[in-house]
Amino acid sequence: MAAIEVRGLVREFKKGPRAVDGIDITVAEGEIYGFLGPNGAGKSTTVLMLTTLLPPTAGTATVAGFDIVKQGAEVRGAIGAALQEAALDKFLTGREHLKLQGSLHGMKSAELKRRSDELLERVGLMEAADRKVGGYSGGMKRRLDLALALLHGPRVLFLDEPTTGLDPQSRTALWDEVARLSREDGVTVFLTTQYLEEADALANRVGIIDHGHIVIEGTPAELKASVGRSSVEIEPHDAARLPDLERALAPFGTPIATRGTSASIRLAEGVGDVAAIVRALDSTGIAIHQLRLREPTLDDVFLEQTGRSLEGSGGASDEDDAEQ
Amino acid sequence: MTGFAVWWGGVSGIAARQSRAFFTNPALIIPGLLFPMLFFAAFAGGLSDLTRIPGFDYAPGYTSFQYVFVLFQSSMFGGIFIGFAVARDFENGFARRLMLGAPHRSAILFGYALSAMIRAAFTIIFVTVIALVAGIDIMGSPAEVVLLYLLALLSNILGSLWALGIAFRFQSLSATPFMQIPLFILLFLAPVYVPLQLLGGWIRHVADVNPATFLLEGGRALLAGSAGPVLAAWLVIIIGGIVLGIWSLSGLRAAETR
Repeated sequence: MAAIEVRGLVREFKKGPRAVDGIDITVAEGEIYGFLGPNGAGKSTTVLMLTTLLPPTAGTATVAGFDIVKQGAEVRGAIGAALQEAALDKFLTGREHLKLQGSLHGMKSAELKRRSDELLERVGLMEAADRKVGGYSGGMKRRLDLALALLHGPRVLFLDEPTTGLDPQSRTALWDEVARLSREDGVTVFLTTQYLEEADALANRVGIIDHGHIVIEGTPAELKASVGRSSVEIEPHDAARLPDLERALAPFGTPIATRGTSASIRLAEGVGDVAAIVRALDSTGIAIHQLRLREPTLDDVFLEQTGRSLEGSGGASDEDDAEQ
Repeated sequence: MTGFAVWWGGVSGIAARQSRAFFTNPALIIPGLLFPMLFFAAFAGGLSDLTRIPGFDYAPGYTSFQYVFVLFQSSMFGGIFIGFAVARDFENGFARRLMLGAPHRSAILFGYALSAMIRAAFTIIFVTVIALVAGIDIMGSPAEVVLLYLLALLSNILGSLWALGIAFRFQSLSATPFMQIPLFILLFLAPVYVPLQLLGGWIRHVADVNPATFLLEGGRALLAGSAGPVLAAWLVIIIGGIVLGIWSLSGLRAAETR
């Protein structure tokens, strides 16, 4: 049985377009599914529907075998979720948050204490457990949020942009924990992110969403292979020679959009062309300031599918799409 | 773990959180005690000569007459204040955590309502101690006095259910006037200063059908051990509880589908 099964899911807002427009997703048990897309693509709206916080306009979905519309209570009992904003009560301590969360799930006090201690230790908050969360850093709040999501031993875990705003060390620690949950505890993880490296590093499979549609889905390796060839990006010493550079590169492959100070092409024959390119530029007198050879990334996949780059698409909250 | 155990876990967890916030935060606890005291001091102290009006025949005296009003007013407003807390939780996102965390969401509603009752019980005890010091005369039997406090405590639920219905629908602190103002109007169009039979004109017509009149007059009758609309007061609690229960639960459903 699939842990998450989504068929034709739609969410329409009154004064806006369809935030989610008929998506199909299947996530196997124990899998980490990376849900990738730019701001406003429909990632958070999808998560809000799957976690029963927002009813779908059309379509069906089951989570942990339960229908998200008809069996909301069962779904909520089987899932844990850490949403974009770690909404915590600044007057409660970390431990009090865990106590409240455990109460909501009807956990017995002995089990609650044991799980709380275990999770506080695991997320590195044992020392801060009895401090009010008003004094916690952003990273500490995220880690507490994760502990809260895991307290009752959920079968499916939803993580909505879990590392946004975290320092690299906290990010790596969270990645390790998510990977461990899937590997050792068999927890299914539905991870939304706009960080390509995050999806690449963690996800068994990735779905890319844009304007409410899933544009492509597969393992990171499959998706990158679908783009196929490597690319080369060259920055000339003299920016005025950029048009000459673009003309010189044209015979070696297909041009790719760049940020304007360099020219980039998808190599027609692969990395073997690089030596010929350097010789061609040398012969035309274009001095090279920087040359970068790049293997395909998930951003290339996104670029190929949508004609736009995912990187640098902004760091604002995607949740706005749920408020339209 | 049974469904009821999970539901009750949610109710008690939310009630414990709210009660902790109330009892450890002077900004919440002081106004909740100060306002009833101000009403009590102003009305019972300043208007006691009203008992000389012909037809004012409340045997326990004017302080006791006003005590019943303050009892119901503080209890019902204790319920209204829980609506403020819910609206605040929606504004800061914490309500979403509860909606996500509680398998049975009615536990959220009942948890908040239970915390309002705990808070009201505390206020009732405080007001009663002050009233006893001020010299109220309790002429009702012990059973009647128990019924009076039960009536006051249950009137808190009516206030809670009304305010929760508003809070779930609007999810904003800007909706708090809609929680308070109707209750103010209801209470002050009831026989607050003098018994019902001394009211005249349009206010008498309004007071005759005002549910708050039955609560106050019924409560006063229980305190005095005299005849009064006690049965009507219980009907107000039962019918009001059903109607406002539907109102607040439909508000919760509205919040779920928003």
